[in-house]
Amino acid sequence: MLIQILNGLVYGGMLYIVSVGLVLIFGLRRVVNFAHGGLYMLGAYIGFAAGLYFGFWGGLVVALVLMALLGVLLDYGVFRPLQDKDHMTTVLVTFGILLVMEDMVHMIWGADTISVAMPALFDGTVDISGSPFPIYRLLVIAVAIVVVLGLTLWLRHSRAGLYVRASSVDALTTGMQGVDTERLSLAVVGLGTALAGLSGVIASPLMALSPAMGSSVLIESFIVVVIGGLGSFSGAFFAALVIGQVHNLGIVYLPNVSSMLPLLLMVVVLILKPSGFARSH
Amino acid sequence: MSSISSPSVRGAQAAPGQGIGLYLAIGCLVAVLGFALPFVGLPKNLLALLTSASISAILATAVGFLVRQAGLSSFGHAAFYGGAAYAIALLVKYTSLPAEVVVLAAPLLIVGLGVVVSLILLRTNGIAFSMLSLAMAQAVYELVMKWRDLANGEDGLRIRFAREIFGLKLSFFQKADTMFLVTWAVLVVVIAILVLVSRSNFGTLTIAIKNNEERARFLGYRTLWPRVVILALSALIAALGGTLFALYNGYVTPSLLHWTLSGEALIIAIIGGTRSVWAPAVGAFVFVILRDVAGNYTTHWQSIVGLVLIAVVLTLPNGIGGALTAFTNRFGGRQNG
Repeated sequence: MLIQILNGLVYGGMLYIVSVGLVLIFGLRRVVNFAHGGLYMLGAYIGFAAGLYFGFWGGLVVALVLMALLGVLLDYGVFRPLQDKDHMTTVLVTFGILLVMEDMVHMIWGADTISVAMPALFDGTVDISGSPFPIYRLLVIAVAIVVVLGLTLWLRHSRAGLYVRASSVDALTTGMQGVDTERLSLAVVGLGTALAGLSGVIASPLMALSPAMGSSVLIESFIVVVIGGLGSFSGAFFAALVIGQVHNLGIVYLPNVSSMLPLLLMVVVLILKPSGFARSH
Repeated sequence: MSSISSPSVRGAQAAPGQGIGLYLAIGCLVAVLGFALPFVGLPKNLLALLTSASISAILATAVGFLVRQAGLSSFGHAAFYGGAAYAIALLVKYTSLPAEVVVLAAPLLIVGLGVVVSLILLRTNGIAFSMLSLAMAQAVYELVMKWRDLANGEDGLRIRFAREIFGLKLSFFQKADTMFLVTWAVLVVVIAILVLVSRSNFGTLTIAIKNNEERARFLGYRTLWPRVVILALSALIAALGGTLFALYNGYVTPSLLHWTLSGEALIIAIIGGTRSVWAPAVGAFVFVILRDVAGNYTTHWQSIVGLVLIAVVLTLPNGIGGALTAFTNRFGGRQNG
C-alpha cells in the first residue's frame, strides 16, 4: 500500500510540474497553452538527444535551457501579439503549434517509441516496508518537492514573485502600478515551458518516448488545472496530488475504467464547486 | 471584436429578405447537383472520397454550429461521433435488437449522454469548456483502449449487420455510389434544419446569450437550457455522422474516439468558417480532397494543417465561408456581408 501511495506521488509530482507551468502562463497571459503537452514531449526528446552526448544530467540542463529559450520566443512571437484578440484565437494557434511540433519530432526521431536508461547513480532499488522501490522514483518525488518549495518561496518572498501573483490577479492594474508585465511575462512563460521540459526529461526513464506522449499528460494536467481552479498555484498543487493518487490506484485496482476516475473526480468537483478547489478571480 | 468564435451580430441577423433569395438559390442548386454526382461517371475512388468527405462535413457542421451559436470550441466531439459508432457496434454484438432499432437508438443514446455531459461542462466558461471536453472525450478513448473485453481494444470491432436494413441491402450502405446519396441527403437535411434553427427566435436568443450571458439573463431569459439544447443538437449531429460511418465502413476502431479526430473537426470548422452554418461543410470537402492530393506528395500533412490553421485564424477569421460570402455579395450586388 505504501508503495502504491509513493507511486501515486511520483505521478502526481510530474503532473504538478507540468500543470504549474500551465498555471504560470495562464496567470500572466490569460491563455490556455494547448501546446504545453507538446513542450513536455519536446523537452523529453531534447533531453534524450543531448543525453547521448552529455549524459542524462547534461541532457537535462540542455533541455531546460533550450525549452526556456523556446518559451521566451513563444511569449514574444505568439502570446504578446495575440493578447488583444479573443482567447480562443490563442488556443487555436497553440493547437496549430502543437500539430507542427508533433510532426517535426516525428520527422526527426521517428514514430517508434524510444526508451531512456535511468541515470547510473540512481539505477538501484531501496527497501521500503519489505518491498523493493526504485531509487529513481524517489528522486522524481524529491525533484517535485524542490520545485514546489522553490516556486512557493519565489512567489511568496521575492519581488518578482509578488509581481507574478499580482499580475495573475489583475495584469492591467499591475501594469499601471509600474510593473513591466511584458518583460515579466517573457520570464514567466520561459519558466513555464522550462518546467514542462523538466517534467518531460525526468519522466523519460519511467515511460517510453513517443511523439504522442504529450497528449495524455496535457489532458490530465487540464483536469488538474480546472479542479484546482484556473490560475491557482496552491489549487494545482493539491489537485495534482489527488489526481496522482487516483490515477495510480485506479490503474492498480480498476484497470478497465482507470481513465474515467480522474474525470469522475472532476465532475464531482465541478458540481460542488464550479470554480475549482481554490477560487480565483 | 475580432474573434473567430463570434460571428458578429450583424451576420447573425443578416437582413431577412434582402439577398436571401440568392443564397437560397445557390444552396438548392448545390444540394440538387450533389445528388447527380454518382450518375455522371465519376471514378469509384473519387466517389468514396466524397462519401467520407460528406461524413466529415456532418461532423464539422456539428462542431461549427456549436462555435457559431454558443461560442464554445469543443475539442471532444469525437466522443459523440465515435461514441455513436461504438454504440452501434456494441449493441449489435451484445444484443439481438434489429439493425434498424440499433441504428436509430445509437444517436439518441448519445444525445442523452450529451445532455448529461453538457449540464456538467456548461458550468464552466469558454476556455475551461474546451479543456474539459477534450479531457472527457479522451477518457472515453482510454476506456475503449484499456477495457479489451468490452470492445476489443485497439483492434476495434467488425460490425455484423443483418443482410437488410430498412428494406435495403447492406451493400447499398457500404458502396460509395449508393451510400453517397444517403450521406449527402443527411448533410443537406442537417444544414437546412440548422439554418432554420439559427434564424429562429431561439437561434437569435442563443447568440444573445453567447455575446453576453449576463445581459440575456437580465432581460429575463433562462440561459442554461438554450445552451444545453444547442450542445445536445450538436452532439446529435456528430452522432449521426458516426452512425453513417459505422453503416458505411462496417467496423469501428478507437481512432474514431481519439482527440486528433475532434481536433481535426474543429480545424475543419474554423478553416471553413463559423460565421455561416454551411461553411464548415465546405471546409470539410476542401480539407478531405486536399489531404488526399497532398498524400501523394508529402508525409507532413499534419504540419501543413497546423500552419494553415494558424494562418486562417490570424488572417481570415471568417474562413473560406467568409471569403465566399464576400465574393457572392459582390457578385449579387449587395454591400458588406
